[in-house]
Amino acid sequence: MSKLNNLFRNLKKNKKSAFVGFVTTGDPNYASSKAIMKEMTKYCQIIEAGVAFSTSTSDSPIIMEANDRAIKSGMNLDKTFKLVKEVIVETKTDTCFILMTYLNPIVVYGIKKFINMSKSVGIAGLIIVDSNLNSPEEKLLLKGLTKKGIGYTKIISPTNSEKFIQQSIRNTKNSFIYITTYAGLTGSKNVNLKNVKKLISKVKKYSKEVPTGVGFGVKTTKHVKQVSKYADAVICGSSIVNKIKVGHEKKFSAKKLAKFIGKYVKTLSAGAR
Amino acid sequence: MKIDPFKELNPPTKDGYWINKKTKERFGGAYISSLLVPNLKRVEKGFFKAIKDKKFMKELNEELETFIGVNTPIHFSPELTKLAGGEKKGKIFLKRTDLHTNHSHKPVSAYSCCKLAKYLGFKKILTETGAFQNGRAVASACAALGLDLDIYVGANDAKKLAINKDISALHGANIIEVHDSTKSLLPAMAAALRAFQSEPDSMYVVGSVAGPHPYPLMVRTFGSVIGRITKKQFKNLVGKDPSTIFSVCGGGSNMLCISYPYLKTKSTKIYAVESAGKGLKTGKHGATIGGGGKMGILLGMQSKVLLDGENIAESFTEASGLDFSSIGTEVAFLHSIGRIKFLTATDLEAKKTFMMMARKIGLICAIEACYVIHAAIKEIRKIGKPKQNHLIHLCGAGEPNVAQMMEFMKKNK
Repeated sequence: MSKLNNLFRNLKKNKKSAFVGFVTTGDPNYASSKAIMKEMTKYCQIIEAGVAFSTSTSDSPIIMEANDRAIKSGMNLDKTFKLVKEVIVETKTDTCFILMTYLNPIVVYGIKKFINMSKSVGIAGLIIVDSNLNSPEEKLLLKGLTKKGIGYTKIISPTNSEKFIQQSIRNTKNSFIYITTYAGLTGSKNVNLKNVKKLISKVKKYSKEVPTGVGFGVKTTKHVKQVSKYADAVICGSSIVNKIKVGHEKKFSAKKLAKFIGKYVKTLSAGAR
Repeated sequence: MKIDPFKELNPPTKDGYWINKKTKERFGGAYISSLLVPNLKRVEKGFFKAIKDKKFMKELNEELETFIGVNTPIHFSPELTKLAGGEKKGKIFLKRTDLHTNHSHKPVSAYSCCKLAKYLGFKKILTETGAFQNGRAVASACAALGLDLDIYVGANDAKKLAINKDISALHGANIIEVHDSTKSLLPAMAAALRAFQSEPDSMYVVGSVAGPHPYPLMVRTFGSVIGRITKKQFKNLVGKDPSTIFSVCGGGSNMLCISYPYLKTKSTKIYAVESAGKGLKTGKHGATIGGGGKMGILLGMQSKVLLDGENIAESFTEASGLDFSSIGTEVAFLHSIGRIKFLTATDLEAKKTFMMMARKIGLICAIEACYVIHAAIKEIRKIGKPKQNHLIHLCGAGEPNVAQMMEFMKKNK
């Protein structure tokens, strides 16, 4: 059974939701990012690790600045794999790592090589922001990832059609479906609970099995609490990344920055039921 | 001259791909976040509806003729012909889309797309710009059609092209400077796409034959009015189709818009000219094809891309309109099947050509157009034959480059 399926089965048994923390790998640099992720494994059931892409078409300025910091620090896919592997080995954590990126880095790296590396590192799942449901790359990825037991998550938003939602559910394999609480950019607005309830019930109408992960605008412990009432996983991104920026600007050491972020993530994750 | 109806000569697949059957390479598609899918579907559906709507097309063509002034002249240039080696190398003609309202080829597709937006009930337009030719063209169209407008421009470009920026502001456009990465056209386009995701009630108007489906198809379909008029005009003037057509190529809109009706005209060779910046070997250039770009995915499209590892490499050229690390999808496809031949010219060659055009021909051309004039003369010297007729697309006027070129003139006295 895939790592993510296992996680969601256990959570369901215990009537709990997963807390998902997002960071861009290598933000603000390799050493600090590694320390931050190690600390986050204590509080996150899932870490969504963003692979920096310079020409982002879907992220808020907060995430884009993180991408810039990571690219300037020399991050690429190989270094991301190395970083995640070191975190997994050194912490012996059960936390699932999913990668989030755009299609270009993967296509240039090579889809097959990417899947093989993901498997050997122990990556649990993948989210690609700009992979079209009908693209040939999507088909290759779905087939390859599923064969290796790695999860694949599709994103749906309140403005998507029923048909699009159904197809997104079909393309989500061994993972949760990502529901955005509003149509817009990551972290640009506050969570919209009405949308959450509506979209979760739409998803449940078509699939009883697929777990739901909810993100976009989830910024406080209260938001996490509210969302986790309905969702199987609650995703916090921009607010964590913003904290990294704050700590980095204060010139915190890797250790201090990791503690600073850890403390914040601990507070946020406490909201997950 | 009446605009001939559009004929589809190179249809993409229904998902917006042009596929090279030999290499299996796919150019195009719509690589976008799910949040953008509904917005693009609305534009795609609306576009196909509009181009079949006789009333809409009739009105649009009339406005292109009267307001944009698409019947710009084609004229013989004895001076350029002489520079290329005389009539034994064939005659050189100029197509003057610099004489459109707003002084470039851009207003044709810009006005058409804005008209489409209005037809579809959008109240606001989002667009991006590099050389501010598109920004200015969209600003004027929005003013004429009563639409609000946000223009995204790289902060570096905004500094360079102050006059077109000011003209856009005078038309009432809201100008948003983009400070991301290279502060040029690429991040400006990414910013416009992000804005499109946040503002589903606004329509994005892409300034080139790039971006996710249906934009490359839409911009070249609307823009091909230039080529349709050119084809008729040239035949009237010379009695036959041109032997060659030369256009400059950043994203490729002016190249494709003039060359499109000739895609199946085997006797006409099509050339595209990219900016070699400081020289291809220096790595500081904007030549996606000439500089060995590879297949990549960015800004919602699969095309040739200048890469730096798994990320996008920074392009470099002093011509803002050519400062782009990728190329339009259909253009990349046409290159891959051998239909378009690519050439390059450096920034310095373009600047020298600008001065030559100013002093010998009496025209102040957009710096972007000077790359093609330089490369065309060089190529015609090599390949030209008697009785041939060569057509160069002079795609913009150079007022925005005046300050930059005054500096060049002073330095090179």
